[in-house]
Amino acid sequence: MNTAIETHELSKRYRRVSALTDCTVTVPQGRVSALIGPNGAGKTTLLRILAGLASPTGGMVTVLGGVPRQDPAFLAEVGFLAQEIPLYRRFAAGDHIRIGAHMNPRWDASLVRDRLAELRIPLDRPVGKLSGGQRAQVALALTLAKRPRLLLLDEPVAALDPLARRNFLATLTAAVADAEGGLTVVLSSHLIADLERVCDHIILLAASKVQLCGDIDTLLAEHKVLVGPAKDTSALERAHTVVHAQRTARQVTLLVRLNGPVIDPAYQVEDVSLEDLVLAYMGAEVAPEQAHLTTVGEDR
Amino acid sequence: MTWLVWRQYRAQAAIAAALLAAFAALILVTGLQVASQWHSALATCTAGHTCGGLSNSIFLGSHAVGFLVIMTLGVPAVLGMLLGAPLLAHEFESGTNQFAWAQSVTRRRWLAIKTGWLLLGAAALGGAVSALVTWWSGPNNALQGNAFYPGRFDIMGIVPVGYAVFAMAVGIAAGALTRRTVPAVGITLAVYIAVRFLIFSLARPHFMTAVTSYFPINRSSTPAGSYWLLSSGYVGAGGHPISIPQSNSGMVAGNVGGGIPVTSLPAQCQGLASQSGRGFTPASYQAASSCATSHHVQAFITYQPAGRYWAFQGIETGIFVALAAALIAVTFVVVRRRDA
Repeated sequence: MNTAIETHELSKRYRRVSALTDCTVTVPQGRVSALIGPNGAGKTTLLRILAGLASPTGGMVTVLGGVPRQDPAFLAEVGFLAQEIPLYRRFAAGDHIRIGAHMNPRWDASLVRDRLAELRIPLDRPVGKLSGGQRAQVALALTLAKRPRLLLLDEPVAALDPLARRNFLATLTAAVADAEGGLTVVLSSHLIADLERVCDHIILLAASKVQLCGDIDTLLAEHKVLVGPAKDTSALERAHTVVHAQRTARQVTLLVRLNGPVIDPAYQVEDVSLEDLVLAYMGAEVAPEQAHLTTVGEDR
Repeated sequence: MTWLVWRQYRAQAAIAAALLAAFAALILVTGLQVASQWHSALATCTAGHTCGGLSNSIFLGSHAVGFLVIMTLGVPAVLGMLLGAPLLAHEFESGTNQFAWAQSVTRRRWLAIKTGWLLLGAAALGGAVSALVTWWSGPNNALQGNAFYPGRFDIMGIVPVGYAVFAMAVGIAAGALTRRTVPAVGITLAVYIAVRFLIFSLARPHFMTAVTSYFPINRSSTPAGSYWLLSSGYVGAGGHPISIPQSNSGMVAGNVGGGIPVTSLPAQCQGLASQSGRGFTPASYQAASSCATSHHVQAFITYQPAGRYWAFQGIETGIFVALAAALIAVTFVVVRRRDA
């Protein structure tokens, strides 16, 4: 399977602030990857580097087989939608379609027109007068009209109401289905429930570091919640990797990454939800020596 | 990319074209009146042999149009503030640069085409206004003979093109540095006025080595045409300048300035002048003058000859175009650094 994105120990420093540290991620082609992390975790920085809009200060990055750069051929392959949903507020959607036609070698104007007609969004009204949800749909349609092979969306649904959010994600899912494996998506957000519906891959960033990266189903299969009596857990910790532990006087609840079957019958083994998994890694305050263990490469 | 610039600026372009058309109509109509007024005045004075005092006896055109013509001095600053400063600052403020950068166009190209068209527009508009003003002012230039006077030099010929390009570049660079429109507009105005003033007062008189001519103190000497007088005075023996105190009584012998005070004359000549007590008699005045001349006292004027007008226009324009190029280079570096 081809990889769309591969980074190795990617770092980005802005003067004294480190926005991204030793970020190693892999996203196979055709996947829809959720880029999750709290505010300020480095999501935007990573997306901007992948889009060729920012250059890293360390490490390696390969996107669609090349290094992201300010080059028309590379830029034509990548659709990037910034967090602020930037559009010229006094221009209508139709104006944006014509601007796009002049600024892109492959431009599918009819795709935008059809999509906006379906959504009953007028082409001749200034986008500043559209609702937030409509504006986001216009921006997404314009980004898709480039016919990109990689789509990078930076918190596109953050400002939308639940219905607009669902419509937006439906459009995205349809676009991925239409592309038949030719479109890879990285979608950042801090809303796990939304992402769970459309994504099959996850990158978890916290405190400018990658905490988790991989196929969602694989990760869910590898992680289990163990509930057992409050006794010495050192044997278990030697056999498996404990991500998060919650202890009461009588009972201990462990979220572990399994390195084999759980033999001890004292523990009850339960499946973990994506949300619990993400929250466990986000709140785990992973110790530095454990950090490398938390990156689960898919193509090992 | 050019289409985007056109879409963004077509309203401003239309307004600028309409204002220019209105200005051109006014200038053409009143300019023809000025020209006929000038030709008839010239015919009358030639017939009566009174052309010498013509510049004091007639006023060409109207005060209102003359005021408007002088006001074109502000055209470059207005262009820089209204179009140059928001060019990048407004994009950064509203985040629309992110839209442009997400298309298949590099940042460098985006910036080059945006700034290129705006600078070209500024040059065209500055040139068009200057051409109209220069044509309209033809009779007045001939009448007044003061082409180097800043109220004329700075609004005619090719310098307005340099000023317009420079002001636009100041606005663009200020917008790139501040990323906010309002401060960029203020900075544009301040920098434009400061640089214009500095170049005018410190550099322009020295674009070319000034010509100094010496002549006897009791004659006058006027260079031909619209020359630019930089200084005048007297020199004593050995070429040492004679200082002329601010308050003095009893000036003697001179057509330059108010003359030379008696106390500044060579010692041997002072007696000749003071013999007659409070005032000079024609004889004592003549004697003192002759004495001073024989002691190598000379009058001088330092000036830029009229023939250097276009050289000065070219040098001034070149300086402002070069400054504009430097500012645009800074803009490219700033935009690349800030967002990479």
